[in-house]
Amino acid sequence: MPMTSRERVLAAINHEEPDRVPLVIGVSNATGIKMHPYRGIKKLIGVQAPDDYIYDWPELGTALIDEATMRRLHSDVRGVLDLEPATVRLQNAHRAPHSDYVDSWGSGQSEIGPDDWYPNVHPIPTATSVADLDAYEGWPDMSDPTRVAHVREAARSLAADNEYAILATPWLLFPFERAHAMQGMDVFLLNMIEHPDFARALLERIGDYCKQLMGRFLQEMGDNIDIIKIGDDLGTQKSLLISPRMYRSFLKPVHADLISFIKERTSAKILFHSDGDVVPLIDDFIEIGVDILNPIQTNAGSMSDLPALKQRFGDNIVFCGGIDTDRVLPLGSVADVRQEVRRVLQTLGPGGGCMIGAVHTVMNDVPPENVLAMVDAVEEFGHYPLQ
Amino acid sequence: MPSKNSGITRFNSDIFLAMTVNDELWDAIVFGERDNVVRIVQAAVDNEEDVVELLNGTMIPALREVGDQFSAGEVFVPEMLVSAKAMQSAIDIIGPLLSRSGHKPIAKVCIGSVQGDLHDIGKNLVAIMLKGSGFEVDDLGVNCRVDDFEAAVKRGAEVVCLSALLSTTRDAMRPVADHFRDRDEVKVIVGGAVITEEFAEAIGADGFGCDASDAIRAVRECLGLTSIPT
Repeated sequence: MPMTSRERVLAAINHEEPDRVPLVIGVSNATGIKMHPYRGIKKLIGVQAPDDYIYDWPELGTALIDEATMRRLHSDVRGVLDLEPATVRLQNAHRAPHSDYVDSWGSGQSEIGPDDWYPNVHPIPTATSVADLDAYEGWPDMSDPTRVAHVREAARSLAADNEYAILATPWLLFPFERAHAMQGMDVFLLNMIEHPDFARALLERIGDYCKQLMGRFLQEMGDNIDIIKIGDDLGTQKSLLISPRMYRSFLKPVHADLISFIKERTSAKILFHSDGDVVPLIDDFIEIGVDILNPIQTNAGSMSDLPALKQRFGDNIVFCGGIDTDRVLPLGSVADVRQEVRRVLQTLGPGGGCMIGAVHTVMNDVPPENVLAMVDAVEEFGHYPLQ
Repeated sequence: MPSKNSGITRFNSDIFLAMTVNDELWDAIVFGERDNVVRIVQAAVDNEEDVVELLNGTMIPALREVGDQFSAGEVFVPEMLVSAKAMQSAIDIIGPLLSRSGHKPIAKVCIGSVQGDLHDIGKNLVAIMLKGSGFEVDDLGVNCRVDDFEAAVKRGAEVVCLSALLSTTRDAMRPVADHFRDRDEVKVIVGGAVITEEFAEAIGADGFGCDASDAIRAVRECLGLTSIPT
């Protein structure tokens, strides 16, 4: 008897072999699909559905995938997300055309072109002291009830269906990336060297706000949650963005604190997202309680050595992702996509502990045919015992 | 972290003259101690020391060492940024003196992130490395169109350096490469997180830099200059 999607995911994240390798697609931003390929997929499969955006946030550009398409994509997860406060959403919906989108932290995006926005609004670029942080008046109000007003019913409804695993993703409770948003990435990276006490204080303050929202979000989710996604982009194409020593000094304590906070409130598994080659930090992630690593960027440095990843870390962490969005999905043929899916399945799949998905968002340069080829290849080749 | 290079003599990369290293300035650049860099360079200027020797004998190889350590995975983006910023401070001080003394740049190059791409950290690093390596740099900023690069070439740029971080913007390099394809006097070098040598060849670029240090090598090679002595 085939498993339900939820049973499939729960088996995989408990390092058991389900009936097939689960597919994680279409839920959050990092596991999601941008609007252009989403429109293309709907056209290919003959689905009529509105062009809505996750987080009610068009500038992010990531589609809110309708249920018919989610089923066609064989996605084994469904998402529960938070929202920016209603006042912020209203303000952005009625702002001048082409003007900057600004979020509840005061950071935001500028328009580059149609459907193309870039994180370019940084509210405290010159801050270098705790006094500067205290003086900033734009810190977010995490107690705003409109952030999570929908969460309880969404989670309850999914749990009542008991068909899909529930992956919860409150937006960007990622301290390092939020610090980049507040200051500009290069400015904050410089401050980590030139003003280390300030950099730590900023990360800790962001961590406190993350916990405030996370607490309210988890309270609304109740027991209706299987996986919660957090993270921080720490890797590059070749290596790490910052040294392991700097990670352990500045960020690991903040991540550990957030994960402890979550684990005190839910038995959900922790999915940690980081782009790039983060192999030197995986033991650290395991140590602080990360259960699932996403997105396994296979074209980045030593992350490309999937057999070594599986052998070294496979007993202690679940791999989620693995299908390349840099070359294979945007530039490859359908045959290339199928071949890559088989390779990743055969390497990371044995013994469970593996969920397949795209490496980060399916971007606007990906042909919709390749998305369907990816999910169909998982359905075709992903059943246990793997061939 | 790097060790102090005490008492060594290095060879200038361009004119192969033995030059004495200013150890204190070397370390200040490698460790990104901007205040010390400014203090040392300003003192050298005040004492009417040879700033060309300071540039070629110490500053360029010191920044190159940081770039090499970055390539080798020994230092990371923050360390690279802080060294580059320190180098920029030094260049700001000695730049006008170099011009007045008749010191000629190796060549003029332009650099920009391509159309649709607003990422500039890597592009800025390469620009500083180029300046520090003796090139005159026309930094065009971000979201640059073909016309922007053409205008820079009209201002004298011999090399056009293109940067892209995203898979969705790398194709914006193609029209620039196409635009300069039949002009032997203009070389196109590409780089950025998503760029590979294979992609560079596919679009007909004259060179590819896999990181900031390698970009300097690529620019030098496309101009027919010798590789940098070590």
